[in-house]
Amino acid sequence: MLDTKLSRRGFIKASTATAALASVGTVGFNQWSNEYVKASENVEVLEIPSTCNGCSSKCGIIGHVKNGRLWKITGHPDHPYAKGKLCARGHGYATLVYSPDRLTEPLKRVGEGKFEPISWDQAYKEIAEKLNQIIKDHGPESISLTEDPRASGKYYSPRFINALGSANYYTHHVVCSNARDAGFLHTVGATSTSADIGSAKYIMFIGRSYGDAIRPSSVKALAEAKDNGAKIVIVDPRLNNTGNLATEWLAIRPGMDLALVLAMSHVLIRENLHDKAFIEKNTVGFEEYAKVLKKYTPEWAEELTGIPADTISRIAIDMGKAKPKALIEQSWRGAFGCNYENSTETGRAVAMFNALLGNLQQKGGSVFSGKPNLGKLDSAKHPSPKEPELPKAGVKEFPLAYESNGVATIVAKEALEGKMKAAIYNHSNAALGYGNPKVMKEALSKLDLVVSIDVQMSETALLSHYILPDVSYIERTEAIEGLKGKTPGMALRQQIVDKVHPQTKPIDVIYKELAEACGVGQYFNFTLDELNEAMLKPTGISYQELKEKGTIMFPDQAITLGEMPKLKTPSGKVEFYSETYKNAGFNPVVEWVEPKVNPDKNSFRLITGKQAIHSHTQTANISILMQITKDYDLERIWINPARAKALGIKEGDMVEVTSSEATSKIRVKVTERIHPEAIFVPSHYGITSKDQKIGYGIGFGYMEHVPFDFEKWSGSGNIHEVIVKVRKVEG
Amino acid sequence: MARYGMFIDTKKCVGCYACRVTCQMQNELPVEISYIHFHEQETGIFPNVRNEIIPVQCQHCEDAPCETVCPTKATYTTEDGIVLMDEDKCIGCKYCVVACPYGARTQDHHTGVINKCRFCADLVAEGKQPSCVSTCISDARIFGDLDDPNSEVSKAIVKHNAQPLRPDLGKSKIYYAR
Repeated sequence: MLDTKLSRRGFIKASTATAALASVGTVGFNQWSNEYVKASENVEVLEIPSTCNGCSSKCGIIGHVKNGRLWKITGHPDHPYAKGKLCARGHGYATLVYSPDRLTEPLKRVGEGKFEPISWDQAYKEIAEKLNQIIKDHGPESISLTEDPRASGKYYSPRFINALGSANYYTHHVVCSNARDAGFLHTVGATSTSADIGSAKYIMFIGRSYGDAIRPSSVKALAEAKDNGAKIVIVDPRLNNTGNLATEWLAIRPGMDLALVLAMSHVLIRENLHDKAFIEKNTVGFEEYAKVLKKYTPEWAEELTGIPADTISRIAIDMGKAKPKALIEQSWRGAFGCNYENSTETGRAVAMFNALLGNLQQKGGSVFSGKPNLGKLDSAKHPSPKEPELPKAGVKEFPLAYESNGVATIVAKEALEGKMKAAIYNHSNAALGYGNPKVMKEALSKLDLVVSIDVQMSETALLSHYILPDVSYIERTEAIEGLKGKTPGMALRQQIVDKVHPQTKPIDVIYKELAEACGVGQYFNFTLDELNEAMLKPTGISYQELKEKGTIMFPDQAITLGEMPKLKTPSGKVEFYSETYKNAGFNPVVEWVEPKVNPDKNSFRLITGKQAIHSHTQTANISILMQITKDYDLERIWINPARAKALGIKEGDMVEVTSSEATSKIRVKVTERIHPEAIFVPSHYGITSKDQKIGYGIGFGYMEHVPFDFEKWSGSGNIHEVIVKVRKVEG
Repeated sequence: MARYGMFIDTKKCVGCYACRVTCQMQNELPVEISYIHFHEQETGIFPNVRNEIIPVQCQHCEDAPCETVCPTKATYTTEDGIVLMDEDKCIGCKYCVVACPYGARTQDHHTGVINKCRFCADLVAEGKQPSCVSTCISDARIFGDLDDPNSEVSKAIVKHNAQPLRPDLGKSKIYYAR
């Protein structure tokens, strides 16, 4: 019972107080424990500003360190995404630093799922030899690098692959926002706008859920908009967790969002509610567009979307009246980031709808962000690699896709075709998340060299020939991150605690050393600190000051609302008619596109989405987060009660979900919050790597059911083009 | 001297669990122990549905039943109305677990001690907000002095006519707008 005398809290607080007590001499246990706890309670807490890695938002954080150990994380008050707050992931993912399942030393594969530790020198030497041999035999176009980008990665990864002569740099966007990016890019010249939510009067979300894929300041702004009386409409086959902040839920048939947007655009023009002055001044091709829209009546859309024509008209008219403080929020993945064959065209239609409202660069509308003015390395001293001779693989097939991010699954396709020979994955679990895992495994198995840089044994790492252990984001400093927004700024991820595993290395060091081994070290003849100093130069702010503050904003560089910038489209204006599309062999004006597959009365469409506590599959092995999944059975699929009843399925029953690709067993949540045509599965589960002991075996991965595919426009993954059948099973 | 209490607006809560996780880290709890739990209430029929999420933790009752039943006086109420535990006095008898109408008490199986939400009394003493409040992404939580009619918490309670979760079960100090 002695244990109860000293709380666990006391034990942790006291962890390094023992030394101070050594001089106390012989004392009774009670006195000792009291002293022990007391000593520790006076321990100094260091507060170190940095950035989160729980998702791509990279919010500003403050790491609170006690006795050299990370205690807790709070939101950085100055960071525009955090505003002093953090989501559950932000708090909990920080425990990654102490995960018992971290990768701790370089590994070399010696058999299926079998690895042996090797030295860094051996790893670099062998990887470099293979890379150089592949380049010699098959050309630099046969090697690739893919990542879920973070600040250092964004700088170092493309530079590394370019240094080897290859343009093949890819990001995770193929299963995120590739479709939206392409649709927006060729309409408004930017892959995305941001939304001035706090000042908006009428906000529509299509599949995007602030309450599930959280950026704290966005949720705060939406709550404020609600307090100010804004109308907030959620268009989603499921009532997502933003529901409580919404004034209306449109339970749309999955895959039909394009029909809704086309019909609302039709109504705006029919009712003469479009912003004619804005269109006249800032757009091209309106006549052709308006002509095409004539056939997309609300009655036509009702049939497809299941939303009454009256409702479509009412909302379009109300938005028209609220313009320019009305908008369709641009989303990340949402319903049209990579979901359906019509997603790029949905993104395009959304950008055009916002243009009809004349809300671009208006208060309460869609905003083109400002960028901070950061410096570069002196190119005389630190030459950049020369432009690769051959274009990025996939550009030919998908000319509309945003080239900087590319179509990452082209690596797998070309591997299967025998054209791609090497793939490096940094902070990317492509094998589980980017495409059907069976196909990805087959593709990666065909490659002569696969290298993973990661913090844990991901499914991609398991398929790699070499695994290079990254330090966690809590233990590393990165390149300065420029923050885009109405007010630009910058943030620094910096080391909060000492490296836990001595053999791990941050990627700036890994790339530099690997480049040296490959014989292209001349492109990495600088340190991270030198890079950051160069970036800071135009700001006049010292590195020391940035380290102390973590986040610094530039209010004097804020954009001016009401002033339309020159757009980066070929015409410099919003393009309702796109020559780029035409030249690429696509319809220059947006038109209705059918989803690839449709369920019948015996089947469902499998849809997926995020939960607030997880990020991709990278948090499935974080025990403090996965415990929430366990406590509330969050891995279950959602099914509508009417459909469940017809199938004899009750809440909590075990069912079998079968698609063309796979069969999974899972329990069900029977809920009125889901469209009868859809089965919802959260996107964070189905870890098959046994080395991730917390995440392994919980739920199923929806990508197992997604056929390996490319959407015709943007090359994105068509992750909702999946039909499943569900039946009750024992279990 | 204050009489601390909290306001929770379930019409703003998106059920993100940030409060649970920050609380666990603030209090250095094992992952399976949480001082905040969540009830989901779905009403209506597709497509006219509402889903309410109700975060529940120690309600810091004025006449705390957990304090009354505690045989060792391990549970006590501070001058500021915060119900706290003296961990050194707790014998792990679980009377308080049974007495609490809100299921807000939980035993740490590593130490045997029963514990619960402390309104982050140490942070409050430093003039800061409890961690669940400061991180709440939709500002669904407000903390402050219920005796001060001008405090944000008092004003919010009046504005929303917020009510204790179960007024029939005691005088609790967390008020819910639902």
